[in-house]
Amino acid sequence: MFLIIQPKLSERMKSTDLCLSSEGTEVILATSSDEKYPPENIIDGSSETFWTTTGMFPQEFIINFHKCVKISKLTIQCYLVRSLRIEKSLSKDPVDFEECVEKDLQYTEGALQTEEFSLPEFQATYLRFIIKSAFDHFVSVHTVMAEGLVDNI
Amino acid sequence: CKCSHAGDSAVGKTALTQMFCSDGAHFQKNYTLTTGVELLVKTVSVPETSDSVELFIFDSAGKELFSEMMEKLWEQPNALCIIYDVTNEQSFSNCAKWLERLRARTLGMHLPGVLVGNKTDLIGRRAVEQKRAEEWAEIQGLQYCETSVKEMENVEVPFHILANSFHQLYREKVETFHSLV
Ligand SMILES: Nc1nc2c(ncn2[C@@H]2O[C@H](COP(=O)(O)OP(=O)(O)OP(=O)(O)O)[C@@H](O)[C@H]2O)c(=O)[nH]1
Ligand SMILES: [Mg+2]
Repeated sequence: MFLIIQPKLSERMKSTDLCLSSEGTEVILATSSDEKYPPENIIDGSSETFWTTTGMFPQEFIINFHKCVKISKLTIQCYLVRSLRIEKSLSKDPVDFEECVEKDLQYTEGALQTEEFSLPEFQATYLRFIIKSAFDHFVSVHTVMAEGLVDNI
Repeated sequence: CKCSHAGDSAVGKTALTQMFCSDGAHFQKNYTLTTGVELLVKTVSVPETSDSVELFIFDSAGKELFSEMMEKLWEQPNALCIIYDVTNEQSFSNCAKWLERLRARTLGMHLPGVLVGNKTDLIGRRAVEQKRAEEWAEIQGLQYCETSVKEMENVEVPFHILANSFHQLYREKVETFHSLV
């Protein structure tokens, strides 16, 4: 008889929201910056706080995970976004972005747009969100969630 | 803030923009027709706040000739500035046409706008009464002001009006964002 010790999956691999500043994730670039509504609000885990754009479109922000993560689902909560494109990069630096998904969102009068993207699992160190056009002069982005795995070994 | 300038040829669009952007250092006596679009950038601070608005001013040609190319550059402006020459009746009546064209590009959004009557220094030659222009502007939801680029009168006024209105729109929108959650 022999025994193999199997660490529980949850101890080895953690399925979690990766877009949290408490996980070490950062927003390294945002094309608008009103100090009162900074881009960090996108990754603080709360949909009450938000980032605002303050000018012309397109507008974008880049999220840096500081490690390679595997993502299977992306969720964004925003308002007044018309056309959104999401790109990923696996490089050490924020270059060589490739398209993940591009979508025209619905106008939701007086309510947050919650958009879920279930994607074939992919790896990334950076995600770039490009708001190509909007339903108004300004939009808000409340949260981005990336569900996936970080290999803890 | 992307601001589109429109109006007939030779009403003073370029003169006004140049004067404003160069802080009064620049008045072109000789008329040079603008071809296509020229982009000028200027930052204006908003009174009673710590904010400022960066204006990207698209000075476009008044000649029909170039209008197809301009239509593209006019996409999704944030603010409108329509200029006419107070000594030229035709340039005033054409404002309706310019306004309609610009509004067609805005996808139903509310846009701050200002109607500017230029060349008030040519007193004896005035052809459009201020009151009439003001009334028309009000009906169209535009603010109104008169300028003389030559005498450097009121040249910053239209830009401050636009910057303030745009800032006001931003503040209102932020209130809406707060109310969502
Ligand atoms: N008297 C007087 N002349 C002015 C004033 N503003 C502009 N002009 C003159 O009007 C002429 C036309 O001005 P521009 O600014 O080039 O006209 P524009 O609207 O840009 O014309 P386009 O580029 O063809 O569309 C120039 O000769 C200016 O010197 C003003 O306030 N008073
Ligand atoms: Mg010109």
